[in-house]
Amino acid sequence: MNVYGVMSSGWFSKDGKHPPAFLLILASVVTIAALIPVVYLFVRSVSSGSEWTVIIFRASTVEVFARTFLLIGLVTIISVSVAVPVAWLTVRSNIPLRRVLSVASVLPLVMPSFVMATTVIEIYSPKGILQGWLAVFGIDRLPDIYGLAGATIVLVFMTYPYVLLTVRGALRRMDPALEEACRAMGYGPIHTFRVVTLPMLRPAIAGGALLVALYTLSDFGGVALLRYHTFTATIMIQYETSIDRTLAAVLSIILVFIAVMLLIGEGLTRGKGAYHRSTVGVVRIAPRIDLGAWKWLGLGVVGLPVIIGLFVPVGVLLNWLIRGLFNNQDLLPLFTPAMNSLYVALLAGLVTVLSALPVAILAVRFPSRLSRFFERSTYIGFGLPGVVVALSLVFFGINVARPLYQSIWLLIFAYGVLFLPTSVGSIRSSLLQVNPRIEEAAQGLGRSQLRVITSITIPLVMPGAFSGGAMVFLLAMKELPATLILSPIGFTTLSTSIWSASSEAMFARTAAAALLLVVVSGIPIAYLTLRGYGDEFNNSVNVEGAAR
Amino acid sequence: MRLPWTRKGRDLFKPATPVAANQKDLPSLSEETGVIHLQRVECRYPGAESSAIKDFNIQIHQGEFVSILGRSGAGKTTALRVIAGFEQVSNGYVTVGGQLVGSSFMHVPPDKRRIGLVFQDYALFPHLTVAKNVEFGLRHFDRPERSSRAAPVLKMVGMSGYESRYVHELSGGQQQRVAIARALAPDPVALLLDEPFSNLDRKLRTGLRRDIKRIVRESGTTTLLVTHDREEALATSDRIAVMGNNCIEQIGAPEDVYENPSSAAVAMLIGPCELIPGVFRGGVVITEAGVFASRVTGGNTATDGEQVLALMRASELEIEAASNNYQRTATVESREFEGEFAEYSIRLDSGTILRVRRRASVEIQVGSRVRAKIRGGARVIVFPV
Repeated sequence: MNVYGVMSSGWFSKDGKHPPAFLLILASVVTIAALIPVVYLFVRSVSSGSEWTVIIFRASTVEVFARTFLLIGLVTIISVSVAVPVAWLTVRSNIPLRRVLSVASVLPLVMPSFVMATTVIEIYSPKGILQGWLAVFGIDRLPDIYGLAGATIVLVFMTYPYVLLTVRGALRRMDPALEEACRAMGYGPIHTFRVVTLPMLRPAIAGGALLVALYTLSDFGGVALLRYHTFTATIMIQYETSIDRTLAAVLSIILVFIAVMLLIGEGLTRGKGAYHRSTVGVVRIAPRIDLGAWKWLGLGVVGLPVIIGLFVPVGVLLNWLIRGLFNNQDLLPLFTPAMNSLYVALLAGLVTVLSALPVAILAVRFPSRLSRFFERSTYIGFGLPGVVVALSLVFFGINVARPLYQSIWLLIFAYGVLFLPTSVGSIRSSLLQVNPRIEEAAQGLGRSQLRVITSITIPLVMPGAFSGGAMVFLLAMKELPATLILSPIGFTTLSTSIWSASSEAMFARTAAAALLLVVVSGIPIAYLTLRGYGDEFNNSVNVEGAAR
Repeated sequence: MRLPWTRKGRDLFKPATPVAANQKDLPSLSEETGVIHLQRVECRYPGAESSAIKDFNIQIHQGEFVSILGRSGAGKTTALRVIAGFEQVSNGYVTVGGQLVGSSFMHVPPDKRRIGLVFQDYALFPHLTVAKNVEFGLRHFDRPERSSRAAPVLKMVGMSGYESRYVHELSGGQQQRVAIARALAPDPVALLLDEPFSNLDRKLRTGLRRDIKRIVRESGTTTLLVTHDREEALATSDRIAVMGNNCIEQIGAPEDVYENPSSAAVAMLIGPCELIPGVFRGGVVITEAGVFASRVTGGNTATDGEQVLALMRASELEIEAASNNYQRTATVESREFEGEFAEYSIRLDSGTILRVRRRASVEIQVGSRVRAKIRGGARVIVFPV
């Protein structure tokens, strides 16, 4: 029994459904935790006084700003132009090896940027492997790979799968009747693609492009190795070299600002057509188009990114490993980092999914201004580069939460803040599939709201929680800057040991660690691809998966 | 048949103590309130311009089968959800089993109302087997007892042998049966059915309709069915409540509502018919289609010379060939052969189309002029405009 008359402002409830208190409490705890880094960073920067305006308007800052935007623009545009054809060819055409390639084309996602960067340097540098092959043609020196060119190559081939996943999901969800209607009205296939397919894919492209842009903004390892100093790299260098960390904090604020601008930009492209819940039943699968002889060209278009993004780097790594093994390099020190990586990544996955559940359930089932605020707040990690979160948590750890400082819990906290949106999004789309009448039926049969959530809602969103957790695991395995900053002294993970080994030119150890990382993170990716990640909205896969 | 545990475990239903500012505002909670009683109930969704239901009154007695018939959007489903507790009322009183469960100042949540609800799309739990679905509401019993209680209910709905199946392995009709078993298993105070047949094909619908009527009769459960299908409502119910826009227009036995509709709107909902304007004069109505003996129903009155609407039912109309010399004739527009009967459409000179249902044996040619009569001395119902 309740007296709700006073609360009908929309803050607590939009449709007259009032969320149970425990859900509100859990969600607000998660939200507060997710907001700590940003809030603390602001407090810290503003308290530095007048310095911060000086720093922002320095010429060098503006230069870094321009350099960062140039890279983001290039990487995003090229990634989209690589990913959209690959998505279309793997879903809608009859290219050879289509099934294998649909999985393989996503795999570059497992390649950490710093691993990719080391191999890119090995191959494409002025006197690298590629030059060796091209020597026959009289080319004795390739153009310099360091700088913008190298950074773009690395980031494009490791981020295009983000666009690929979202676009492919949208292509699969799309009702083929729309295109057929256009064809029936007498328009050719190319015109149809331009006026029907592409506009329908626009939100998916924008969503994927946003991920690419944000990733590019926050990448540290790749750009640092290729000596292209973006904002993130500059902050890391500031943090590592100077004692006064105010500058790093102030620069971080600018980074947050850029991320927010990117988020707003993507929001503007969305327009009004937000989200459509599909009608009952399974969307008809569009027939595959027979490309005829063109299918071999299609094979090339899909295969090339896989070769550049996966096979070539892995080949280089294997080459290093074998050479190192012949030279008796010791690989045993890798055991502890590998175990550490697994441990923190699994823990991060678990903690993040558990925190995401109340936020996602509240957002989907009890829409209100408050629950939307909670959900949006957790999305902040989406736009926060790892460096920023890590720096802020260092300050926070030293000044506020001393017992957490130098423990892995601060690291897990950082992973949680960074990767919460992935889990919330994944659980959210899983829950949107679940007919709310099912939960009402459970309540009508005498279960309290808490019991309905534990006996019905959570089991039904398990598939989404699993993909969310798998994604967090993968991202935590690969994460470098936050791991470097927040790992307790002496605590090494696979990614930090790759980083230190590659800067010490211990190729065999770099290669072994990197291959291990790729294989271990390949497992969740394979799982997610087979389950059709990015395809979450689609039909009954989730429900049937849950029934098994 | 009464389910073996009927009346047992009723104490699970813990009524909330009403907290009224003024005790006089409370409805009487005597035995006469019926199993379900809604008094002047209003339900307005937050942010909505108008109320989904308003001044809604209904009283359903023990063991009764009542249908609410109305167009989509009339607020039928809202009424069900108000009774089940999924919507809060902004005015009026809802009592279930003699206990006040909903009003502007108090709200008993759905899990405390012991109402069985069957959803339009069944809402079965996809991650549970048929048996687990049916046992879901029997949480208060220990495990072996749960299945021994679920078994007779499954048998009653004809789903024995499907216990270990998952929901997606069942056909639509089977899912419907499981949904009913699930709702009946905890021995609810009342069973609410929300358009239970709308997702099934026509043939299956008729069979299942009979089955459900038998099942609820056997279990003695008080049942409220919501539908937009007049046949469904007429065929199943002891009483039928015709819903206009957001409130009940008329309630009564199906035959009575059909014979004596209280308003033109009710008549339109309850049977296929047309309304044509006419003038009431000395017990007859003079219309474009003819001059017919007439009557008024449901407390309506009509005075001499008053403009009225005459209710023309296809089954009460008869036509015969007529020459153009007659006044008030019509043209046969089309004929649809249905086997024993044929349905004719006749066009009046004003363009209005009337439907006539007659035996197919004597055919009247399309295009010929006809005169309309009322069959067997029946009186045309008229409504004041």
